[in-house]
Amino acid sequence: MKIRVALVRLREWLRRGRVDADLDAELQSHVDHLTDEHVRRGLDRDAARQAALRDFGGVAQAREAARDRRGFRPLDAFVHDVRYALRLLIKAPAFTAAAVLTLGLGIGANAAIFSLVDAVVFRPLPYPQPARLVAIWELVPTSPARREAAGPVSREIGTPANLADYRKARGATAIAGYTTTTRNVTGGGTPERLVGEEVTPEYFDVLGMPPALGRSFRAGDDRPGHRIVIISHAMWRERFGGSPAAIGASIALDGERHEIVGVTAADFRGVSQLYGGAPAVFWVPAVFDTQMLTNRHEHVLALVGRLAPRTTPAALAGELRAIAASFGASVGEGFSVDLAPLRDDVARDAAPLMLMLLGAVGLVLLLACVNVAGLLIVRAIARRRELAVRLALGATRLRVAGELLTQSIVLVACGAVAGLALAFVLVRWLLALTPVTLPRLDGVAIDGRVLLFTIGISALTSAVFGLVPLLQLGRTGTDDALGTTERVVAGSWAGRSRTALMLVEVALSTVLLVGAALMIRSLATLNQVPLGFDAHDVLTANVRLPAARYPDGNARYRFFEAAAERIAQLPGVESVTFGNRLPLRGGWTSGFILEQIDGSLPADSTTAAGFQSISPSYFDTFNLRALRGRSLSAADREGSPAAAVVNEEFVRRFLGAQNPLGRRLRRGPKAPSIEIVGVVSDIRRGGRLADVQPEVYLPAAQTSLYPLWLEQIAVRFAGDAAARADDLRGAIWAIDPDQPVAAIRTLEDVLTLGQAERRFQAFLFSLFAVLALTLALVGIYGVVAYAVGQRTPEIALRMALGATAGSILRWMLRQWLVLVACGTAAGLLAARLLGRTIESLLFHVTPGDPIAFVAASAVIGAAALVACLVAARSATRVDASTLLR
Amino acid sequence: MSEDRRDVLQGTLALMILQTLETMGPQHGYGIARRIEQVGGDGLRLNQGTLYPALVKLEQQGWIRAKWGASDNNRRAKFYSLTPRGRRQLTAETKRWERVSALIGRFLRPTEGA
Repeated sequence: MKIRVALVRLREWLRRGRVDADLDAELQSHVDHLTDEHVRRGLDRDAARQAALRDFGGVAQAREAARDRRGFRPLDAFVHDVRYALRLLIKAPAFTAAAVLTLGLGIGANAAIFSLVDAVVFRPLPYPQPARLVAIWELVPTSPARREAAGPVSREIGTPANLADYRKARGATAIAGYTTTTRNVTGGGTPERLVGEEVTPEYFDVLGMPPALGRSFRAGDDRPGHRIVIISHAMWRERFGGSPAAIGASIALDGERHEIVGVTAADFRGVSQLYGGAPAVFWVPAVFDTQMLTNRHEHVLALVGRLAPRTTPAALAGELRAIAASFGASVGEGFSVDLAPLRDDVARDAAPLMLMLLGAVGLVLLLACVNVAGLLIVRAIARRRELAVRLALGATRLRVAGELLTQSIVLVACGAVAGLALAFVLVRWLLALTPVTLPRLDGVAIDGRVLLFTIGISALTSAVFGLVPLLQLGRTGTDDALGTTERVVAGSWAGRSRTALMLVEVALSTVLLVGAALMIRSLATLNQVPLGFDAHDVLTANVRLPAARYPDGNARYRFFEAAAERIAQLPGVESVTFGNRLPLRGGWTSGFILEQIDGSLPADSTTAAGFQSISPSYFDTFNLRALRGRSLSAADREGSPAAAVVNEEFVRRFLGAQNPLGRRLRRGPKAPSIEIVGVVSDIRRGGRLADVQPEVYLPAAQTSLYPLWLEQIAVRFAGDAAARADDLRGAIWAIDPDQPVAAIRTLEDVLTLGQAERRFQAFLFSLFAVLALTLALVGIYGVVAYAVGQRTPEIALRMALGATAGSILRWMLRQWLVLVACGTAAGLLAARLLGRTIESLLFHVTPGDPIAFVAASAVIGAAALVACLVAARSATRVDASTLLR
Repeated sequence: MSEDRRDVLQGTLALMILQTLETMGPQHGYGIARRIEQVGGDGLRLNQGTLYPALVKLEQQGWIRAKWGASDNNRRAKFYSLTPRGRRQLTAETKRWERVSALIGRFLRPTEGA
């Protein structure tokens, strides 16, 4: 009822011109009727009119009473206040520009960062009832060799064998396994390597996203040789023109025809894409042999489950742990299951950075508010007399307070509009900058929620601002303000509050500066970590040869050997190598047995190392140094004695002071025995953030030594490697035109990508710190300049009595710099206390890193000194004689 | 619905307007004033201007609606009429008044019912 009346009122107010005219006409009509009445009783027209007006009792009063009853007055007042506020803002362009820009920066940066954080961390997953989805991990006891580095258990994805048992859990409606895969899609046009997912039959049911066309996978689809596929909506549109005839048609994956049984919904995204992977475009049933279905150590399937109704994640976790307990010795002591809401699991790695960004940008907004509050205090002082006069003339305090509040709201609204415009620009910019490793970036957009968030900030801010003039007004006794004591009283109060605000500003920006310094230090430290190999001017590519055409290791070796020869003939090529996995592009770790010197096998064989099969030119291409023995050569072929080269870390960890040359190792008790023929320098295979691992390099030509597929190729060029992608592709297609050449990237790009997140966070923190510093400087300058203005007579007097400009400057600086030092100290303390929260974002730098703290203090100190100096210098230019007169 | 109960005259006036429209059908402001003065006789001295805030309020509540038309003297006038909701409101208000006046009546003549 009330809302209805309010709406009626608003509608009447919006048409108030007509409503008023209507009322006037109505009142006029009433008076006319009365007049007619009196005329009828015999009065002449004029007398009748007088009598009518008397009877009516005041047309103007009636009109005003009716208007009041309509509730126009507060709305009229508001419009008046808004107009007045806008006029005031226009009349003070410097203040307005400073305040609106400050607020715009604060609000815009917040809206932009919130958009990012919201998409990555908070937004529900794009599935029905997303809160019921959980990610399931296995906690696997680590081998003694890895325990030191990895802790007692490592988090692993699930195994097909264990999944078969987990399916019995009643706490989940279903549990599905999935893993990403890539397949060559051939036939027609350029061969492509596309990303898909191998999934267990429950996958689409668990996610609650049945295919839009055709059918989902079902039990029994995962039998060997049953080649079916569900394709993405995008692929369906692209390759089949959106025709329903696609169901039953087929596509070739790695050269094998797969029948299309379904097409996903248009907005369907595979789970692995949420984790930051490339969008999957096809889904095939995951097929496992009996070995995989019985071995509980094959962690190849990520698990996702949907909670049964009225089951909690904790209950399901308990149930799964009970099931895991029955695995017994086959999984080892300490094996367990861990479970997390899928959304949290997706954001697990990104969440600390995201929340930290939110915190940092929140500090920036706080600073902006403090700054604007400072600006408003000065204005409140300036308008003190005006307000006092108005109060003395009978304006109610409520009315004046409402007017001041309106001015704050108008200011904040302007700031919010500027901020939102800025946010749109910033979000685009952030997206261009953001490392692709962050999950769910495709959802980043300024949407209604972000808008709400911004409005929330604005409202909060406006409350803060509204408070400032109200406080000021509350303290203003009109007599006091109108009287002679004005300057002293107002000056001291405003001076004190502005000084306090300045302290806060200095402290806040110190916190952000320390954060930025720590990030920059991390990045610098990271960049100094030696890789151990030369990543410049190396172009790499993937060629995954299909089993149909290249059935065994020798066939694949011959392909790569031929391709390498062909590539070597390209102009500007210095060196070509190939292997299963090249540096920065993954790897393969295998357990192995180191034979004792007498050739016997040790009882304990829990050792593991990276095993890479490579062509001999590998060491040249990546500039590894040969330290002992010989390198691998073309002579190490099938038929010649099995040979391997190990790295320093291998020797350090497994052989210590013993001579590695001539020692032998094997990958299993029955596997071939391999002689160590040389030692090469260490590399950080996984990039600068990774540790050095023990490595064994096997000659790719001895294909019987390893079960791996050769699939990566690297070329060192004399010059700009990035521009040679087409040459590389052409040379490979000269050997086999049907093979897609995927992931062509320079190693430097891969390196950059690997460190992108670190750079991103360091960059953003620096940006926030610079923003904060700028705001703080404006604040400091404002406070000092204001104080100098207040004390001009005192300064003039001192100078008249013989003080020099230098001594005045020193005297003033001393005062303000002590304050800055206090603010900085408070900021450093806060930064130290907050340090632990950003610990996970740092690399080999402690949150209390003294260099970062000293650097931050130096920056804020120097900046404050400049700001104070500029503001205080005007004091020494005072012309004493004019002022004292 | 926030009826201002202290404003007794206002509340009474609203009821009188509603009752007038119920008995007389659509009426303009002047007609309503005349009718109220007639019925009230000497017991009521109406400042006709106060009618208009009351009419505004009744209209905003949706109890009456207004329409311009021609009066008996051939002048343009705004005619008010009861809406169905206004009629319901009148019934409810009338009952309330009867209850209150009966109660007050019992208070003022306490022996009668005993």
